[in-house]
Amino acid sequence: MAGFLASINEGAKRRVLAVQEYFGLAAKAIRFIVARPFYIGDVVQQMDAIGVESLGIVLLTGFFTGMVLALQTSVQMAQFGATMYIGRLVTASMVRELGPVLAAILVAGRVGSGIAAQIGSMRVTEQIDALNTLGVDPIKKLVTPRLIAALVMMPVLTILSDTVGIGGGNVIATAYVGIPVGLYWRTVWEQIASGGFILHYIPSDFVQGLVKPFVFGGIIAITGCFFGINTKGGTEGVGNATTRTVVVASVLILVVDYFLTQVLLFLFG
Amino acid sequence: MDTPADDEGAPAPAAHGEERRRGPELEGEPRLRRAEDELRARFAEELQEGEETQDRVAISREAIVELDRVSLAFDRPILENVSLIARRGETIVIAGESGTGKSTILKLILRLLRPDSGRVIVDGEVLNDVTYEEALVIRQKMGMVFQGAALFDSMSVFENVAFPLREHTELTDDEIETRVREKLEFVDLDPDRVMEQLPAELSGGMKKRVGIARGMAVNPAIMLYDEPTSGLDPLTTGTITRLIMKLQRELKVTSVVVSHDIRSAFRMATKIALLADRHIVFFGSPEDMTASQDRYVQDFLGGV
Repeated sequence: MAGFLASINEGAKRRVLAVQEYFGLAAKAIRFIVARPFYIGDVVQQMDAIGVESLGIVLLTGFFTGMVLALQTSVQMAQFGATMYIGRLVTASMVRELGPVLAAILVAGRVGSGIAAQIGSMRVTEQIDALNTLGVDPIKKLVTPRLIAALVMMPVLTILSDTVGIGGGNVIATAYVGIPVGLYWRTVWEQIASGGFILHYIPSDFVQGLVKPFVFGGIIAITGCFFGINTKGGTEGVGNATTRTVVVASVLILVVDYFLTQVLLFLFG
Repeated sequence: MDTPADDEGAPAPAAHGEERRRGPELEGEPRLRRAEDELRARFAEELQEGEETQDRVAISREAIVELDRVSLAFDRPILENVSLIARRGETIVIAGESGTGKSTILKLILRLLRPDSGRVIVDGEVLNDVTYEEALVIRQKMGMVFQGAALFDSMSVFENVAFPLREHTELTDDEIETRVREKLEFVDLDPDRVMEQLPAELSGGMKKRVGIARGMAVNPAIMLYDEPTSGLDPLTTGTITRLIMKLQRELKVTSVVVSHDIRSAFRMATKIALLADRHIVFFGSPEDMTASQDRYVQDFLGGV
């Protein structure tokens, strides 16, 4: 019994320590954003890997998500004769929730795992130790450029995913339900404007829709780097790091999404 | 590297566990004398080559790396009361069985690890007290060659060797290229042939040589090698060993080499430290090592 309790105690301590290390890594990586030297080339390279290379899969899933949303909504709305509001529903769902969350989960699977695999391989082949011995902080060289790239590219990907998703909704609304294109886009705008504007020009829905991917980008980059840097045990360890990254990042995205939504609704309604 | 009480290279004082390894002195002496003669004959070539190299190297009395009664434990004790001093220009080989903490000593010198007790001093600075950021600066005085070379696999050979120059110097691109060519030529690689290659396209020996070129790119005062000849064929082992000796001879670099390749150690070492049971059980010149009456030392050499 005592042994069992001791093992629970040890497990709890390890987890608390891991959480502390996770936030320590995040804090250090954020601090390095404004510290010289700036690895501009690495940031651009990572923006390409995280943003440009994820574009196809994010756009494809965004498009089909918009279409399926319009399809499901049309069936429900038809019962009340309110199919003209398909655009509003698709827009609200895509901009506030599905766009940011779906894009983030896809990027966590594609990019987060890649970051963990790459940094994990560098760990097991002593390349991270080599950086240290060459007098270079691995967090500055490896983590910060990925963090900056993810913080910049996730909102961009989300905007594109939202746009393509709303466009997908338009295809179904027009071709399947028979709503004119002009009417559809007018309802889209009505939805965007209904939440009010911040500083007179910025729709609050956009702010809500862009704060989330910014935070999710940070979660993906830090989680991938955290598990990559802490990789142990050769190639098997690299495999474990990638799996953990996808699982932890996806769960964190969904949990943080809830709390973030609460805060954003409180702030912007 | 010397133990402080052992400046002239005599064997280290009897360490913990040494008695256990020693046989009965009187009965064992003829056997040990025979073993010593055999070892001298066996390593004659390496000893002679080593002596010739040492004759050409001026070793300063000034200590550049010092471990002062260092102890370290993780889930079990790794090192206990280990004391060593390396002087400028020396090549020290740390030998011993696998898992005895040889590479840990390198990590302590690099301040990748901090000792539980005792002090690690590099070029006059006590590493125990320095912050992580200060340690990064101190590490620029050292070049490290890893067992698997640890080249950055996403960078070309040129970028690998240029990396520390871009990080820590104000050299222009042209000056960096000149320096990279110079270092690659020093390690007997043709710059025009290898500069654009990726590490994956190189053989094991070439990777090690690029690793040495990268380690010496900023002209460090100290070079550290972790098993530089492991996994290499005998000819390439000879090439790497000669390269380490060339570095000592021509650039007066202090080298600390972790290796269990005792033949190479005899060729390149000023002093050999033999690590066993968390302690240094022998510390002295290769000649002293062959003459050692310690049964463990004899067994270690005999088992090579």
